[in-house]
Amino acid sequence: MLIVKDFCLSLKDKRLIQHVSFDIDNGQVLSIMGPSGIGKSSLLHFLSGTLHQSLTATGEAFLNDTALHGKPTTARRVGLLQQMPLLFPHMSILENLLFAIAEDIPPEQRHKMAQQALEKLGIPDKANALPKELSGGQQARVALLRTLLSKPDYLLLDEPFSKLDPALRRDVRAFVLAEIRHANIPALLVTHDSEDAKAMQGKCLELEKAT
Amino acid sequence: MPLIHTRLITWVMALVLMIPIAIGLIGTLLPAFQYFPPLGEYQLSLSPWRDLFSHGEFYASLKLTLITGIGAPILSLWLALSLLAWGYQRPFFTKIEALLSPLLAIPHAAIAIGLLFLLSPSGWLVRVFSPWLTGFERPPNWISVQDPYGVSLIIALVIKEMPYLLFVMLTTMKSIKARESLQVGQALGYSRFTLWRKVLIPQLYPIVRLPIFIVVAFSLTVVDLALVIGPNTPSTLAVTLLRWFNNPDLSMRFMASAGAVFLMLCVVSVLAGWELSHKLTSKITRSERSNGKRAGLSDNLLRLGVIVGLLALLNGFVALVLLPIWSLARRWRFPDALPSQWTLSNLERAGPLLLELTTNTLLIAFLSTLLACAISLIMLETKRQDMDKQHQHTKNHLFDWLIYVPILLPQIGFLFGLHVLLIYLELNGDLCAIIALHLMYVLPYVYLTLKGPYLSYEEGYLQQANRIHYRPWRNYLGIKIAMLKPAMFTAFAIGFSVSIAQYLPTLIAGEGRYSTLTTEAVAQAASGDRKQVGSMAMLQAFFPILVFWLAQFIPRRWTRWRLFIKQCVIRSKHFFFKKDTQC
Repeated sequence: MLIVKDFCLSLKDKRLIQHVSFDIDNGQVLSIMGPSGIGKSSLLHFLSGTLHQSLTATGEAFLNDTALHGKPTTARRVGLLQQMPLLFPHMSILENLLFAIAEDIPPEQRHKMAQQALEKLGIPDKANALPKELSGGQQARVALLRTLLSKPDYLLLDEPFSKLDPALRRDVRAFVLAEIRHANIPALLVTHDSEDAKAMQGKCLELEKAT
Repeated sequence: MPLIHTRLITWVMALVLMIPIAIGLIGTLLPAFQYFPPLGEYQLSLSPWRDLFSHGEFYASLKLTLITGIGAPILSLWLALSLLAWGYQRPFFTKIEALLSPLLAIPHAAIAIGLLFLLSPSGWLVRVFSPWLTGFERPPNWISVQDPYGVSLIIALVIKEMPYLLFVMLTTMKSIKARESLQVGQALGYSRFTLWRKVLIPQLYPIVRLPIFIVVAFSLTVVDLALVIGPNTPSTLAVTLLRWFNNPDLSMRFMASAGAVFLMLCVVSVLAGWELSHKLTSKITRSERSNGKRAGLSDNLLRLGVIVGLLALLNGFVALVLLPIWSLARRWRFPDALPSQWTLSNLERAGPLLLELTTNTLLIAFLSTLLACAISLIMLETKRQDMDKQHQHTKNHLFDWLIYVPILLPQIGFLFGLHVLLIYLELNGDLCAIIALHLMYVLPYVYLTLKGPYLSYEEGYLQQANRIHYRPWRNYLGIKIAMLKPAMFTAFAIGFSVSIAQYLPTLIAGEGRYSTLTTEAVAQAASGDRKQVGSMAMLQAFFPILVFWLAQFIPRRWTRWRLFIKQCVIRSKHFFFKKDTQC
């Protein structure tokens, strides 16, 4: 369970977000909506530990019972999925997936895991293809599976569907939700699109301009 | 790069860059005022300057330097602009662009030697027209190279500098939205050349000001090119100074140092004058730009430039082709256009020497360029982190100023100042010293080439990699550097060719103990043994062209090859594995 208590965000003297609290159960997705520039993405950065210096944030975040807010990014075991799939263009799809799997797992096991992921996507023949040979929807799915293969404790999604064709979005959304439930971790989705929020079948939090 | 203490690194690097510059400058300035402890001179005096100004050769040399050093950049700029205005965005021009890189890559000395083979009285140009047109059975008694007016030196400089300027300009076309401006302008009924004159060149000039300055400084101070194809008695100032510095009479050093300081002042004042005249020209032409005339007489200046520019390019290529022909010629009598007998024995005869020179050349070039790449990456990383912190993307970093100093200062004088330091450190004649001096000239070019791609890299890839699997160093190399491969290769190729072209740094730091293809080719250019000189110049040109080509060829195919090899390895493993189980 991911718990955020009393989160406030400000840019110099300008208050952006005030006193937001929420909790997300394992396998659930909380959607956060709100106008541009309010600091939705900054909330994600706060949770992943990469908040820009110019912003000041207060509040606490807990994963189960351990505090997150004091930890460095590398110790948080966070998965982040952004607008761009950010698949490494110089590596094959298989290598991109293998990149995420922990080193201490034996090589055959690692290969098997990556191959299984490819089969799940229905593209086992694309193992040695380069990312640019995949469609946008496929790239988005590979990016999600890559993130999940690194076994994160919680997942942050920063408008991952916005660059996709409307026709593809539905499929990718369903895929993402199914995978999150399967991994059984809490996920936080930032979006502009109320359809996204609906599709995630979870709670929705609307942020408003601070007065 | 997971660097910590970036501020400290910045200052240490800046210091390391500044120390040789400062010592080189002090080492030139003090002897110019008769202060030179190694020779027991501790009394400051103006006598070196008095000697300099009363020396007749000084004025003749200075005149030549000013003619060639101002004439060549003006011509290069004119021709480069004309060719660009004529060909930009036209299909055939991409072919010309592709031909630029060999001309960019090859050392100046090789071009100069090629031009010597082409333009001298017994050169190929006269041979082609003899005897059927000219009636010459023997080489005429002309002075067509190393002419006392420096014309051949100017031609050589233009052939080397015009492609460089053209190359630099082509890379900036996107940022001034040249294509869109041309479309809009042509829709308004303007002719192509007029648009360039009124719209594009005024925007382009400020962006390429610095490369132009580099070209001006280079033309005023070049040594190797002037030794091969420039006038002698009197020679240009840089060459005269080199002779004075190397004079067995050590007291000549003082006058030479004063001359080097004077040359430095010359560069500064010519650059100032250049900038002033640019300001004046743009002021005069400002009202003309908006007078609404769709075509003008001065368009013809650009038209003429196209013809001359193409001729210059052609000259450069023929000169290049002549290098291997001479090195393979056995019998080539005047006025035959091609050798009557061919042979490999020239190369065989010079084999051991060429092998030694090539080894030295490649060793120095590889090490100094690899070092330059590593240092550039560290510098760029500190700059990137700085920019990240301060949100100021336009601000110039300390490095952006320091890095240009070595290439804007005249090598002559400056390097002799540094030589004194090398002697104190007992590094004179050492390979390390040569590599260090090369590094000073390679670094700026590598840094400048990497700067754009490195700073515009989408950092998200690296961040995502570290989120998925936190291994900062491995990811930096495996993700960021691997994705920047094309830029890395190009930067390496440019640095490599800069190193191969170096003449004075090798000569001064190596004290003749280490010769490279360049130093030997320049030393022998006057010898008249065209077969041997041709062999050296050919090798000198060969390696940079090869590396440039590889830098274009490899990165595009790297991933495909890597995956292919990996597949093969996996398949063969499977193959053996199956065999094992069958047994």
